[in-house]
Amino acid sequence: MLSYLLLIPFLGAFLLLFWPGQPVPGRMRLVAIVILALQLAWSLRVLWAFDSSDGGMQFQESFGWVNSIGLDYKLGIDGLSLPLVLINAALALVSIVCTRDISQRPRIYFALLLLISGAVNGVFLSENLLLFFFFYELELVPLWLLISIWGGTGRAYAATKFLIFTAVSGVLILGAFLGLALFTGTVDFSITPVLSERLAMGQQILLLVALLIGFGIKIPLVPFHTWLPDAHTQASTPVSVLLAGVLLKLGTYGLLRFCLGMFPEAWGLMAPWLAGWAAVSVLYGSLAAIAQRDMKRMVAYSSVGHMGYILLAAAAATPLSLLGAVFQMISHGLISALLFLLVGVVYRKTGTRDLEVLRGLLNPERGLPFTGTLMILGVMASAGLPGMAGFISEFLVFRGSLEAFPLATLLCMVGSGLTAVYFLLLVNRAFFGRMAITPPSNPVADARLDIRLAPVAPRETIPAMALAIAVVAIGLLPSWLGRISESATTTMAELPALLASLQNGGLS
Amino acid sequence: MPIISADLTHAGGMPTAAELEAKLLAGQIFLAETPNHLMQVVDVLESYGEVLDAYSTNLIYQAEKQFLNPVPAFRYLDGDLSPGKIWRHLIHDRINFEYAEYCQKAMFWHGTGGLDAYLDSEAFRANCVAIIGRKTSRDPLLALLHPLFPNFLLELIRSAATTHALGQFWRVMSDLFLDLARAEKDGRVSTVAAVVDFLRQGLVAAAANPISYAVELAGDRFWVLPPEAGLTFLADVAVPYVEAVFLRGMPFLGTVSFNAQAQQISPDQSTFTYGALFADPLPSMGAGIPPSLLMQDMYRHLPERLHQWYRQTTRGEGDVRVKICLSFQKSMFCVTNAAIAGTFPYRLDHPEAAAQAANRAYAASWAARLSSSRTDCLDPSTL
Repeated sequence: MLSYLLLIPFLGAFLLLFWPGQPVPGRMRLVAIVILALQLAWSLRVLWAFDSSDGGMQFQESFGWVNSIGLDYKLGIDGLSLPLVLINAALALVSIVCTRDISQRPRIYFALLLLISGAVNGVFLSENLLLFFFFYELELVPLWLLISIWGGTGRAYAATKFLIFTAVSGVLILGAFLGLALFTGTVDFSITPVLSERLAMGQQILLLVALLIGFGIKIPLVPFHTWLPDAHTQASTPVSVLLAGVLLKLGTYGLLRFCLGMFPEAWGLMAPWLAGWAAVSVLYGSLAAIAQRDMKRMVAYSSVGHMGYILLAAAAATPLSLLGAVFQMISHGLISALLFLLVGVVYRKTGTRDLEVLRGLLNPERGLPFTGTLMILGVMASAGLPGMAGFISEFLVFRGSLEAFPLATLLCMVGSGLTAVYFLLLVNRAFFGRMAITPPSNPVADARLDIRLAPVAPRETIPAMALAIAVVAIGLLPSWLGRISESATTTMAELPALLASLQNGGLS
Repeated sequence: MPIISADLTHAGGMPTAAELEAKLLAGQIFLAETPNHLMQVVDVLESYGEVLDAYSTNLIYQAEKQFLNPVPAFRYLDGDLSPGKIWRHLIHDRINFEYAEYCQKAMFWHGTGGLDAYLDSEAFRANCVAIIGRKTSRDPLLALLHPLFPNFLLELIRSAATTHALGQFWRVMSDLFLDLARAEKDGRVSTVAAVVDFLRQGLVAAAANPISYAVELAGDRFWVLPPEAGLTFLADVAVPYVEAVFLRGMPFLGTVSFNAQAQQISPDQSTFTYGALFADPLPSMGAGIPPSLLMQDMYRHLPERLHQWYRQTTRGEGDVRVKICLSFQKSMFCVTNAAIAGTFPYRLDHPEAAAQAANRAYAASWAARLSSSRTDCLDPSTL
């Protein structure tokens, strides 16, 4: 069942690459939409068949691929990976639907997007470390191409920076996996926490640190975050949607699955430091966001801040906090994708994202009132207002982490407050007041400028509307997502105790 | 950041006071002479005429039939209390009579001209005493209120007098604007300059019309504004109206906060610039009488020719109220043009130097005031 989640996008990518005749952008887009709709439908079928009471892996598929190096084709899905598979399918579809102005090389563009979506599914479904690494690296090249070919004016710099950072991330992760094999003397690359128990604590910490930095770059956490704002600024809107909504989650998923899941003992030892790191990341990301004047960079820095909550939740590693981490991954995916979509609409209509220039876009007649309305909803959700997805996830994270790390949690709460600060700055500057898209100079002359923006067609708002509905739906009905993940996150939280009892049993 | 496309922003220009003064003294019009301008001005004035007809009827009804009614809940219904009319009122399928009231309040508050002077006169007070005496003898609520607040009913009568005067003024203007539309259809008016001249002639013809107002109480007729007060259309109502509604306006409405203590609004009411000629066509909820109410009313009565053109420009129906406001401002500059042309102290070609100097001073004072108004709409590139 799970292999179809790889086959659909990968075969779809090949289908597009070898599509006969001239690659008409509209037709390529339509084919890609059909393929990704199929992927979404199949993901929903997996959800339908998923047993939420089982905290372990389900629908497992396995056969030996390259046995000599321990590379097995081994797939499985649990309550941690299923929501991420779903959001990948949804956001990949959104990113294709919102692609409207691709005129050059549409065949390759859409094929690369499909390739990324398939690779991301591979990352979330892999039950073998090398297979995980294979897919983890596989999404890197298409993304680099998407930024460096279809990006903005500074795309070469941003794409190269992205490539270097994530390549280092890949090297560290591969090094940690190989180190695990080296220290344990086995070529079994299955994901099993018992494996690390054979290692001395020093070795565990060494490997964990390598993984932490590797995934910390991908998430990204301060100080490894500098590639993200540049990549977002230069990437086109659909790529930003995927990058923020899905690709950052590869890092947080790795954090939970491999760092916490494989080294629970060393994780417990390092947890206070990790909580401190989370607080620093949250505060730095939020404060940096306040200083931005490019809307897209502001949203990118907000991602840096909001990813810190997941590290905090993972550090606390309580059942509630881990559930909060899953919620945060999903809600951040939806909210940041929504915000990037809307910033994209503003940019397409006005030609700028500069907060010193944009004003009054909420104007009902000549502005972008519906885009502004959705933006207000998006920033309210991001700031954690009740009734929307952000509130549920932040509440669960803070509630789950407060007892374990009160100071770090309180500092993260301050970061949550700062989210309201920078996003209100954004909304106030760009959407309220007298409409303008020019730098303020002479108030009398500025107030006379007639602004003639093209209206936003209703079909252009469909992807953003769908995301906004999802954000509110999760905020009002969080239990369905909770049901999917609760068993898996509870199992993960109980892992250290389980291992300890195993050790004790072995000793006695 | 990429450079913002010049297509997205448009500046209509801002003529200087000297340029405006030169045009006035040369007998030229402010608005650029184009066929499109002619269509906009004539058609928007036609819809304005229809709206003014309703405003005028209602204001006169309020002043005569709702006189000294402390709770005039049904004042917008013109005496028609049928279920259909009430239902249409409740679902807002109606004219925004509130706009007419805002204009009346602006006139009442700024209080310039002969009408305001008469409202403070002893003769007026004497009339009011008689009216209040008759009214309180039959109305226990007013009989209770009047001794407690002796200025209350007096002020209500002043307000009713302004309401009636504005109703009379708009009666004339409504007929004038509808006549203009007919003249343009007949071919008697075919340029913007001819429109301004048509309006000037209309204003001059009505200039000396008497403004009077009487109410009927218990079968007796009482004068509020008697004919012997000598109030006339142009000097005592039209000019104060232009001053209050076109130029000064009110800074209070809207969501923009003007802090009087921080000197953000002028302490001198006469220097206010919140009127219709200064209004921002973009609905930014700034200060002043909300022209969006009037735009909404005119939208209901747009001639098909203008409506068709609006559908084809910029966002079509999406920003039609902004375009109505722009056309309205263009037409109001024509009316202002006509009013100034009709009120010069002397003929423009008067040979005497003193007369010319007086004309120059008159033109200069108008030009100075108008130079900071929304003259950008005079440019044909401003849609």
